[in-house]
Amino acid sequence: MENLQSLLHGFTIAVTVPHLTLMVIGVLLGILVGVLPGLGAPNGVSLLLPLTFGMQPVSAIILLSSMYWGALFGGSVTSILFNIPGEPSSVATTFDGYPMARDGRPTTALATAFGSAAFGALVGVVLITFLASWVAQVALAFGPPEYFAVYFLAFASFVGMGGAAPIKTVVALAIGFAIAAIGIDTVSGSVRLTMGIDELVKGVSFVVAVMGLFGIGELLIAVEEEFQARAVSSRVDWKEVFRALGRLPQHGIALLRSAAIGCWMGITPGGPTAASFMSYGIAKRFSRNGAHFGTGEAEGIVAPETADHAAGTSALLPMLSLGIPGSATAAVMMGGLMIWGLNPGPMLFVDQKDFVWGLIASMYVGNIVAVALVLLTVPVFAALMRIPFAVIAPLIVIICVVGAYSVSNSFLDVVLMLGFGVVGYLFKKLHYPLAPLVLAIVIGDKAEDAFRQAMLMSKGSLGIFFANRLVTTLVLAGMALLLLPLALQIVRLLRKPEEAADEKVRTI
Amino acid sequence: MISRRALEIAAAALTGLFGVVVIVSSIDNGIGWSSAGVDAGTFPFLTGIIIVLGSLYNMGQGAIGRGTLAMVRTAITPSELRRLAGLFVPAAIFVAVIPMVGMYLASAGYVFAVLALPKRQSVLRALVIAAATPLALYVVFERMFQVSLPHGALAAAFGF
Repeated sequence: MENLQSLLHGFTIAVTVPHLTLMVIGVLLGILVGVLPGLGAPNGVSLLLPLTFGMQPVSAIILLSSMYWGALFGGSVTSILFNIPGEPSSVATTFDGYPMARDGRPTTALATAFGSAAFGALVGVVLITFLASWVAQVALAFGPPEYFAVYFLAFASFVGMGGAAPIKTVVALAIGFAIAAIGIDTVSGSVRLTMGIDELVKGVSFVVAVMGLFGIGELLIAVEEEFQARAVSSRVDWKEVFRALGRLPQHGIALLRSAAIGCWMGITPGGPTAASFMSYGIAKRFSRNGAHFGTGEAEGIVAPETADHAAGTSALLPMLSLGIPGSATAAVMMGGLMIWGLNPGPMLFVDQKDFVWGLIASMYVGNIVAVALVLLTVPVFAALMRIPFAVIAPLIVIICVVGAYSVSNSFLDVVLMLGFGVVGYLFKKLHYPLAPLVLAIVIGDKAEDAFRQAMLMSKGSLGIFFANRLVTTLVLAGMALLLLPLALQIVRLLRKPEEAADEKVRTI
Repeated sequence: MISRRALEIAAAALTGLFGVVVIVSSIDNGIGWSSAGVDAGTFPFLTGIIIVLGSLYNMGQGAIGRGTLAMVRTAITPSELRRLAGLFVPAAIFVAVIPMVGMYLASAGYVFAVLALPKRQSVLRALVIAAATPLALYVVFERMFQVSLPHGALAAAFGF
């Protein structure tokens, strides 16, 4: 009950004219970055970040989170109309969304996608409303060893459930940690890993890394694939919108199952991309129409979209209550929180009630705003896709350069950003996962601090990670997740080779 | 043509090299346990070790052609490489000239060069887009959000 009261209070903060305006701006910008290839939610949010420094934290987070919702929706628009996923997490939507739109039912495909996306988001927000403050309360009792164990669990779940090659994930994570360590060490004050470049004392901002890894990196991938937009009609037939939404309850089981998968993958940092693929795969296996998947089956749109948005939304739960972001974009937002002077984690629920509940309430409103706006603006943004890529590409390069520069007015950041761009391209090309890299850059310092504080408490003995039941459970769960890929590999070797090949296709 | 095998090995070599650099420079900070607790270099040192070991494993996997994408032999075809260079080289030149001529001039020149020279767009259209870009940057950053973009040594010489 207390939660509902806080939520109502949150609504009085979120539903004000300035905040509603911010939501509209955020959602529109979000759809824009979601639609444009090469610009996605993580670097859209980090581009906007430097511009929010003068704002109230609650206004800033409403703007950034609305942008996130907009980007999630925008990515689906291009997946369905152009067969080009605007976001990695909407790749699975192309499988059935584009065939359906091509067969002359674009409105049905869009409405089905947005309807199930809104349902997924709603489940995610409800989960946050009722669970976040409880998790935070539990976490208030955490000491450094427990915190380190939770971080460890988060990183281990990337390795165990991220879907990419496990050792590549480990390397990506470790590189992120090393990058986070660059600059002044907060505990001892000594300068680390600057490699003789004095300017690196200030460290490498995650915004710069995100801009390069996701912005330039994705642009290089797009130009390599000779990006061409072949659109199907983008006219929206409003009657069909409501008919398609009315048909959604028929897919009730798929909706609930996909939302559950999404929430799980969002809270444990598997991320929206893994969630949508997993949900699609499972729906294909269990659906009565499983054989028709890939030819424009409604359930093939419902499953990935619901999971994508449920994961995107619930990724904010661990960010708010534990200080561990559940996705790359949530990591960027959490970096923003720290820049605004807030300390992400359980204390937010004690010290910053207005901020937390304003944000949660805005998630309800923001998603409704997003569904309405995305339906209204589909033709506009679809027209945007007809601008030749040759024109858009240099503009995105300029946006990334200016974005990297504006973080701290440093030219070195621009050069670093370009370097991260090459790394991002290589990593994407070779299926190294980028989300754990970004996550480690953002929370690497915190994880290290927790580890060192724990070591101080125990005078250097690792036994402190097995000192009580809670921390032991967390550490053991983390280790189990780390070893999961190895166990799966052994199982796979014992099975038939065709099944193993099938498994491979699914993880890609 | 760049084979997938070569690209895997190159990427693993790159990450491995980074790991070695991390190990070497974290030893300077001291590793292990001292009176003040865990030394500053310890954590980076461990991540460096993990990076190197993981890179060696990835390099081995790439060399013998195993892993998730083993059936893909070619990573980048010559025409793909040309398109990649066509995007990246002008972008790198653009970044390189920013300290000299400033963000506004550099971005205008960059857009014009990329659009007009390969005859992707008519010269007039390229000119319009090239002029509109710095104008939009100025309005959004310098005016609306009060973020000063680099004006460059050239502008400084003229007294801006």
